[in-house]
Amino acid sequence: MDFSLNDIQQMMQDSAAKFIQNDYDFETRRGLSNSPAGYSEDNWKLFAELGWLALPIKEAYGGLDGDLVDTMVLQQEFGKGLLVEPYYATVLLGANLIQKQASDAQKLELLEPVVAGELKLALAHSEAQASFDVSQTKTRAEKQGDQYVLNGHKAVVLGAESADYLLVPARTSGVVGDAEGISLFLIDPKSAGVQLRGYATNDGLRAADIGLTEVTVPASSILGQADSAAPAIELVLNEAIVALGAEAVGIMEKLLAATSEYIKTRQQFDQPISRFQVLQHRLADMFMETEQAKSMVYFAAMEVAKGGSEASRVASMLKVKIGSAGRLVGQQAVQLHGGMGITDELDVGHFFKRLTCINNQLGTRDYHLQSLINKAAAG
Amino acid sequence: MKVLVAVKRVIDYNIKVRVKSDQSGVDLANVKMAMNPFCEIAVEEAVRLKEKGVADEVIVVSIGPKVAQEQIRTAMALGADRGILVETDEPLESLAIAKLLTKVVEVEQPGLVILGKQSIDADNNQTGQMLGALAGMSQGTFASEINVSENSVEVTREIDGGLQTLSLNLPAIITTDLRLNEPRYASLPNIMKAKRKPLDVKTPADFGVNVISGLKTLLVESPQERSAGVLVGSVSELVEKLKNEAKVI
Repeated sequence: MDFSLNDIQQMMQDSAAKFIQNDYDFETRRGLSNSPAGYSEDNWKLFAELGWLALPIKEAYGGLDGDLVDTMVLQQEFGKGLLVEPYYATVLLGANLIQKQASDAQKLELLEPVVAGELKLALAHSEAQASFDVSQTKTRAEKQGDQYVLNGHKAVVLGAESADYLLVPARTSGVVGDAEGISLFLIDPKSAGVQLRGYATNDGLRAADIGLTEVTVPASSILGQADSAAPAIELVLNEAIVALGAEAVGIMEKLLAATSEYIKTRQQFDQPISRFQVLQHRLADMFMETEQAKSMVYFAAMEVAKGGSEASRVASMLKVKIGSAGRLVGQQAVQLHGGMGITDELDVGHFFKRLTCINNQLGTRDYHLQSLINKAAAG
Repeated sequence: MKVLVAVKRVIDYNIKVRVKSDQSGVDLANVKMAMNPFCEIAVEEAVRLKEKGVADEVIVVSIGPKVAQEQIRTAMALGADRGILVETDEPLESLAIAKLLTKVVEVEQPGLVILGKQSIDADNNQTGQMLGALAGMSQGTFASEINVSENSVEVTREIDGGLQTLSLNLPAIITTDLRLNEPRYASLPNIMKAKRKPLDVKTPADFGVNVISGLKTLLVESPQERSAGVLVGSVSELVEKLKNEAKVI
């Protein structure tokens, strides 16, 4: 099977790699991460000019109609720079979900400003008891006339502070655990009753916990049909797992290269430590895990786009692989760098933190392993 | 005015170059290739001239194997309008390239030819100058600033110890230095458009140019590895070493 990228993907990869190399070195990224906004608005405008914000959006809404493989290529490069701009939150979760769930009129209204870099989004899907399984959503929306009143709590919503709109899944019918009965609301974070508590995550991104108390919105703020959002959310989250996987692979490649370079220069007992066979074995393990993770991302990028039950099985397989590979590669990179591997001044520890947070996003390795076991047991 | 830009396919500047084990050249197998960075600056300058309305067409030419089309497509993704590949698998010297470019200049009649000052693989720094001589055009090498007016172009050159500003009659040849501009990133819509832009493929025989080299590479060696430094105990020891070992004072 030919896994080489086509000309367009190759050039896009070159562009993204150059951007990361020239304008997004580790110190720049650290500065952005520590700034009040947590990212650069100038970079966001540049992403719009370069067409990156338009990548997965359909042409009818001003996008470039890219597929999951295109997203994978971009995310892999973003991983190498530990990108802090809310690309994942706005484009890969928010815009992608609008594209899959909203009505045509809503898509026209919301997607073009995203493509132009004028609108940011955040998907508030996770709750304390439901980081991945949207059927566990407890947040409720009660219909009162032609309005809905929302009450509930959302946890670790990435990019929420910078978002112009929150996409909030809430239960409009049924009980917790039902696949049906979830509606998707478009909510202005400045609405009365929305409490946003923002914070920096361990990997240097920005997230927020959101309280919804008697938040009253018109029925027209439901995206698409009421009670019907769960399948679209599930598909978007599965696609987001592929994007996270690609980002993780970019990070692992970077860690592997940095570690390999370092142990060739670090001297101990009058020789470079790369001459020690035990360390060579460790590096070989890192290489194997990175390559396996990469193959799994390629496979998932092709399979998940097809949707259906196989898509969520493959996404779970990928998340398991990324979880274990990321842990091994990250830990070995830190250990082989010695004490400085955990310092704030060196990027290695930051890459490891991001890998660890990727494992916690959209269901951990253990969660997805259990889900695969359950699926296998059910036949 | 037409602007012709020559671009070269070279090893990507991030790659650590390795010499082949038989020392006959450098190892190019499975190595990432890219556009020569100075050529990228040349493309950027031409595109900026077009954006300013000074140029109305930017033509990019490369000479080399079929895969050099990738670099032409990259140049078109940055904003060039059309491409010409003079396809040959022969190893080429600067003179052969300059002769081929002269023929392209005769056909296209550009008002301005912009080239990189040198390629990062062979570091010859010859092609632009040779082309100037062969085509009988005035040349401004190592340009750090360009201002085009009606019939002439003002070129600020980076020379030893300062800057020199020249005025050249058009048509002219310019070779770019590092500080002329900062090339843009190719945007996705432009990358997609580049795929549909015309790219002509020619051969040296079409221009009646013989590219057989008169040079033979005898030996390629890696530079000597830098040995580790030593810590000296005192200033007098340092002075002693500088005098007797390094023999610099």
